[in-house]
Amino acid sequence: MELLKKIMMDKLAAISLSIVAVTIVVGIFAPLFAPHDPYEVHMELRYASPSWEYLLGNDHLGRCVLSRLIYGIRPSVLWVLAALALSVGIGAILGFIAGYFRGKTDAILMRICDVMLSFPGYVMTLALIGVLGVGFENILLAFILSKWAWFARVIRTAVMQYAESEYVKYAKAIGVSNMKIMVKHIVPVSFSDIVVVASSSFGAMILQISGFSFLGLGIQAPHAEWGMMLNEAREVMFSRPELMLAPGLTIIIVVMALNFVSDALQVALDPKLMSSQNKSYRNATTSAGKLQGKEVA
Amino acid sequence: MTGRMVVWMIVLLGSVGLLASCGGDQAGNTGAADQDQELVYATAKDTNDMNPHFYAGSMPAQGMVYESLVENTEDGIKPLLAESWEISEDGKVYTFHLRQDVQFHDGEPFNAEAVKKNIEAVQSNASTHSWIKLSTKIVSCNVIDAYTIELVLSEPYYPTLLELSMTRPYVFLSPKDFVNGETKDGVNGYNGTGPFKLAEQKVDQYAIFEANETYWGGAPSLKKITAKVLPAGETTYLALQKGEVNFLFTDDRGTDSLDVEAMNKLVESGEFQLVRSKPMNTKMIVANSSKLDSPVHETAVREAIWHAVDRETISQQIYNGTETAADTLFSSNVNYANVDLMKRSYDLETAKQILDEAGWVLDNGDAIRTKNGNKLAMKLYYDTHSSSQKTQAEFLQHAWKSIGMEVTLIGEESTSIANRRSTGEYDLLFNQTWGLAYDPQSTVAAFSSTSSYYHTTSGIEKADELYKKIEQVMVSQDEETRKSLYADIINIVHEEAVFIPITNGSVTVIASADLQGISFKQTQFELPFERMQFE
Repeated sequence: MELLKKIMMDKLAAISLSIVAVTIVVGIFAPLFAPHDPYEVHMELRYASPSWEYLLGNDHLGRCVLSRLIYGIRPSVLWVLAALALSVGIGAILGFIAGYFRGKTDAILMRICDVMLSFPGYVMTLALIGVLGVGFENILLAFILSKWAWFARVIRTAVMQYAESEYVKYAKAIGVSNMKIMVKHIVPVSFSDIVVVASSSFGAMILQISGFSFLGLGIQAPHAEWGMMLNEAREVMFSRPELMLAPGLTIIIVVMALNFVSDALQVALDPKLMSSQNKSYRNATTSAGKLQGKEVA
Repeated sequence: MTGRMVVWMIVLLGSVGLLASCGGDQAGNTGAADQDQELVYATAKDTNDMNPHFYAGSMPAQGMVYESLVENTEDGIKPLLAESWEISEDGKVYTFHLRQDVQFHDGEPFNAEAVKKNIEAVQSNASTHSWIKLSTKIVSCNVIDAYTIELVLSEPYYPTLLELSMTRPYVFLSPKDFVNGETKDGVNGYNGTGPFKLAEQKVDQYAIFEANETYWGGAPSLKKITAKVLPAGETTYLALQKGEVNFLFTDDRGTDSLDVEAMNKLVESGEFQLVRSKPMNTKMIVANSSKLDSPVHETAVREAIWHAVDRETISQQIYNGTETAADTLFSSNVNYANVDLMKRSYDLETAKQILDEAGWVLDNGDAIRTKNGNKLAMKLYYDTHSSSQKTQAEFLQHAWKSIGMEVTLIGEESTSIANRRSTGEYDLLFNQTWGLAYDPQSTVAAFSSTSSYYHTTSGIEKADELYKKIEQVMVSQDEETRKSLYADIINIVHEEAVFIPITNGSVTVIASADLQGISFKQTQFELPFERMQFE
């Protein structure tokens, strides 16, 4: 609750958070919010301009663009969120094991991570699609398989700082089990790092999913997805450029909102930044910038 | 933070402005390439292997470099490299008298010896050419004198001259380019006899063809033709506007790089002209009747699919009226194809009724019909480079869903689709008949060829009868028997609804307005570049 209050103090973050929240809610309850069936074809309304009935107009098959945008939230945002959660989950478990136990376990896990990280992310995903075939599930799977290593790396580093600290040593000395130490003493303090890392790559993942769908590798017709809508609009880019606006702006707004939220989260969560708000803000942004910069796609 | 954002915004806006101004500058250069009779066409696929005895290469490119003995024109078979010919009484021996003033691009003389070598090179690789039935009929090829050659067949075969006129494989490469007297293991060069010669080729970038100044039919007006590999769609559109390319045509797999509206926009600008051939082929959906684990092997399902295709809307809305709806596999102006066939019009109710009668029922609350626990679900493959195919696929998918049929759309490269056609790994796929010069004889012959439509036709009840009739029609000598055999063949495939026609397709050319002499051949696979010139 206190966290939420802190975020709400920053206006930009508050607006961004509400955009993200609304997007997720609308996506989950898409059938309630969408004014039309997103798959309903009306050839007589092909490329119709916006009207009161179809607020954002109609696409090349006369389907309602607004409804398709709303249904597109599911693959573009919600499924990406699920994939993100899964790869962060895998990364967290392995990161904790590596960071806490150190030694051989750490060495082996980190070498595996090195191998995974030494491939450029896009190439890795493309290779996996090549093996598994084109399809949305396969892209998500490829994402999970190629992203966990990065999360494991970052989380391990976060865990290591705390695993060395005095209170953990003390807990060990009085014979508390490793499992319990991790859950009780390390997870709470490193949780903020995990959240910041995860949220900062959320936006990037949405862009990538849209990118793959744009290339026709992701979700298949007739399902709606933002990247694919953009690709469909691209075909008539010179005769009807306005069709690119709706999906394009949606992607920009949502990804931007996510990035602002992740920045604000970082500020709000970092205990070290609590004392002086002003200075911490600057620190936070620079470190967030570093995190995003380092990420291997 | 916000300060930096503002800076980024400015940079972004600035670069957009810069891009726009670049476009303006280059648009002013349009026409620079035109002055020296240079034609640059855009192609989505690489020119690939120019070996004329294989099928990987781009057909329009092979068509300018190589020539055949005879030519298929609107008025029938005409002389090309052969000045005249005689056919023996029993129809088994063809004697060709060759032109004597022809040279290959490398200076080698074109004579009977060269013809013999080429035909034997093709024959030695028979399995690759099984689709062209002539390859199974040729017994020997004999040199009579320096410019007379004799082709001996095992039995009379009426489409012999038609098949000799095709873009490949019976065309002629300089014997100097052969490797160990063969062409099947690659060749040393690409010297044909045609009006243009290959000058330079860079994989996935471009291929340059130069005029053959010593061409026997007179040097062509265009001095240079460049085939530039560009992705279809807006890249090609921009390249046209910038003057980077000045010619565009429907490719050999029937794919247009631009949608109808973009083409119209170019024509409106006054700098381009659009020339459309008369209808040449039929665009269709091919159903795999031999795939037993898919509902598509049932005639009733295929009939229902046929009834659920709204051809009028496709023709009017998707093609903006540029292509007409097709109700039969071959339009009635194709030779031997003027057959009375039952018309299956667009009618969703009939489609539903057919499915009900065949046992595909819709249980309460279900969206998809089932029969014995199997879902009425199929896959439709389309060419990713063709935006009209994708739109049609989505449109049809919706219509089919309303009759309780679930169709998954899968977009693939055209080569991959051609591969599926020959291996039978598909339910439904987009395809087209082979065009005026090939219809009906070659398309019909392809019904039984494993590399083409064997999987499409082999699952139907009368498959054996169909194949027997195809064998018979090819060797029949009598016009009337031939007519009735073709009628039977067309009837069988129509009844079984394995080839589901959509529209009659044509070849479309977009070229700069000052290009003269744009015409078409009897095939959708070649264009007569030698007749074109810039004013």
